[in-house]
Amino acid sequence: MKKFHFSEKQLGYLMILPSIILVVLVTLWPVAQSFYNSLFDYRLNDPTRSERMLSANMDLERYVDNYFYIDGQLDNLEGSAVGDDIATIKQARETIEGFHSELASDSEINAKMEQIDEMLMNFEPVSDTDLKYSKLDNDFAEDYRAALISISEDLQEMAATTDNDELAQNYEQASSLLEATSTNILESNFIGFSNYVKYFKDSRMWQSLANTMIFTIASVAVELVLGLAIALLINRAFSGRGIVRASVLIPWAIPTAVAAMMWGFLYDGQTGIVAHYFNEWNLIPDSSWLLSTSTGGMFSIIFADVWKTTPYMALLLLAGLQTIPNSLYEASDVDGANKFQQFFKITLPLLKSAILVALLFRTLDAFRVFDLIYVLTGGGPANATESISIYAYITLFSQQNFGEGSVLSVIVFLSVALISFIYVRLIGSDLFAGRTK
Amino acid sequence: MNKRAGIGFYIFLVIFVFLVMFPFIWVFLTSIKPVGEIFTSFRWFTTNPTLDSYDAALTNRPLMRYMLNSFVVSSVTTVLSVGCAAFAAYAVTRLPIKGKGLFLGVVLAASMFPQVAVISPIFNIVTELGLRNSYTGLVIPYMTISLPLSIWILSTFFQKIPFELEESAKLDGASPFQTFRKIILPLATPGIFTTAILVFIAAWNEYLFALTINSDDEWRTVPVGISMYQSEYSVPWGDISAATVIVTIPIVVLVLIFQRRIVSGLTSGSVKE
Repeated sequence: MKKFHFSEKQLGYLMILPSIILVVLVTLWPVAQSFYNSLFDYRLNDPTRSERMLSANMDLERYVDNYFYIDGQLDNLEGSAVGDDIATIKQARETIEGFHSELASDSEINAKMEQIDEMLMNFEPVSDTDLKYSKLDNDFAEDYRAALISISEDLQEMAATTDNDELAQNYEQASSLLEATSTNILESNFIGFSNYVKYFKDSRMWQSLANTMIFTIASVAVELVLGLAIALLINRAFSGRGIVRASVLIPWAIPTAVAAMMWGFLYDGQTGIVAHYFNEWNLIPDSSWLLSTSTGGMFSIIFADVWKTTPYMALLLLAGLQTIPNSLYEASDVDGANKFQQFFKITLPLLKSAILVALLFRTLDAFRVFDLIYVLTGGGPANATESISIYAYITLFSQQNFGEGSVLSVIVFLSVALISFIYVRLIGSDLFAGRTK
Repeated sequence: MNKRAGIGFYIFLVIFVFLVMFPFIWVFLTSIKPVGEIFTSFRWFTTNPTLDSYDAALTNRPLMRYMLNSFVVSSVTTVLSVGCAAFAAYAVTRLPIKGKGLFLGVVLAASMFPQVAVISPIFNIVTELGLRNSYTGLVIPYMTISLPLSIWILSTFFQKIPFELEESAKLDGASPFQTFRKIILPLATPGIFTTAILVFIAAWNEYLFALTINSDDEWRTVPVGISMYQSEYSVPWGDISAATVIVTIPIVVLVLIFQRRIVSGLTSGSVKE
């Protein structure tokens, strides 16, 4: 029997399939989700807003539980109230019953409520979200909610005017029950672009964006100049290349969080050796300057980043330098060009694409900076070193506000997309050269 | 450029290497000081070296557990990610499929996506699947982060393998998959190895996902674990420097052994050859 073989084409598609699935599922889909989340008032720590709801919803579990007591309590109040209050309560009872029977007229909701009622009787938790929540008509939800709140207020007023302590207590109880019931009706938390408008006016957002840009531009510029200088210097034959290569690779290879902890120790105002020497050499006003002032904090993270990534830059540029043919320099020597002319007329133009690619990767990395700042300064002092990624992370996970945090995520995403777009336009098709044929 | 290196050059090199390595040297010297000395003097060398800080670093926090977690997560990520990437890179460089440019473009774009833009939906997915505080919960995002890098480097390596070998294999009746397994893979071993080292280091160093997804101390990885040594009230610099030395040693060993491969991997793709 002949074994089954895929054709080249089938095999090809089959081979890229796992990668496509992963990239779509864990990168593209989440970005789309982040954008979708940013349109909602979506908070994990608030039960009325912990789901994204395009229309109004009813938390049936809590509603059924609350409704069970409403009728009894109002009936009781009707019996013990005096004067005009009796009529008001009767009226309120009818209103609520009217809304409830309108709700129950939907056979699906009615069936759900009966099922939940039975589960509640048996003290079973309702964990199935399809059963627990039910979509409502927006207008109906708003009316019912408004009615519950207004009755609750009426009862509150009656409690304040009556002299009978026991009756007042009963009024209070019924009032808070109705208020609680009104929170079971969840309004849609779709808010469109309001979150964006909010952050557009948020000075902390602009500051964090400015911090990120200052950090990115300063660190990448210093790294480029230093990296290029180092690459030019070590682009020659010498013994001990291995040691130099290893020593520049180690800072690049250790986790950023570990590097940040190390620099935190070196910068420390009391025990830090770098702070101590900088202070002795009068480079900084006092030894606590590095971590406790805003300029010092920014300097510290840029300095640590330069230490960690300049070697990487130098390596990329060195590889670029080594592809420049030596004959070009020899020919220009014959023509009488000096070192500066050689650098500007031969080295730089031929290194252009290597520089741009290195700059692209470094700029994107620097713009997304998170670990270094999070561990070294935590964004402080007073948010002076907070990058946009840190702000997004804090909003998302410390405040559990996935709606607003997603807005900041989307802002980071759009900025990165813009930066990539500019670079890719500059680099052009060189990036793909030789990979697809 | 074949400039000869003079004495001035070597002095420069020594200073350069010293400055780059200074943080490590200082942290190592601190880690063997008695704790009292760390806070009282800036003397470089202690007269009573001690391993107390190492003892404290290992007992106060489960550092070895962090190392194990990091090792498992990074290894599994490396194997799976390089596997997927080898398939994709072979398909893109050798097989007649449509949309290669689009595929590479999407992959490259995905590598530029900021992690903070995908973290909250991934957090929701991982929570729903019950994968928080597990190895799988980290391996899945890590694979995706490292996939673009792997595909990029591997396709550069595959491109360099001569086409003639495959054509003769084809003439001998090998199926496309056999050609991949028996011809390309053995020839690409150095490239695959290089990619694997880079993926391993990237997974070992990742912070944001590890911080968010594995929040139980038992499941923390090295970068997150080490950042938890500092507390609000006291900073145990002795423990921290000892822990830093311990977690840096594996990286130093890795770099010393594989430095040539790492450099070739880092620079492939950024330089036209």
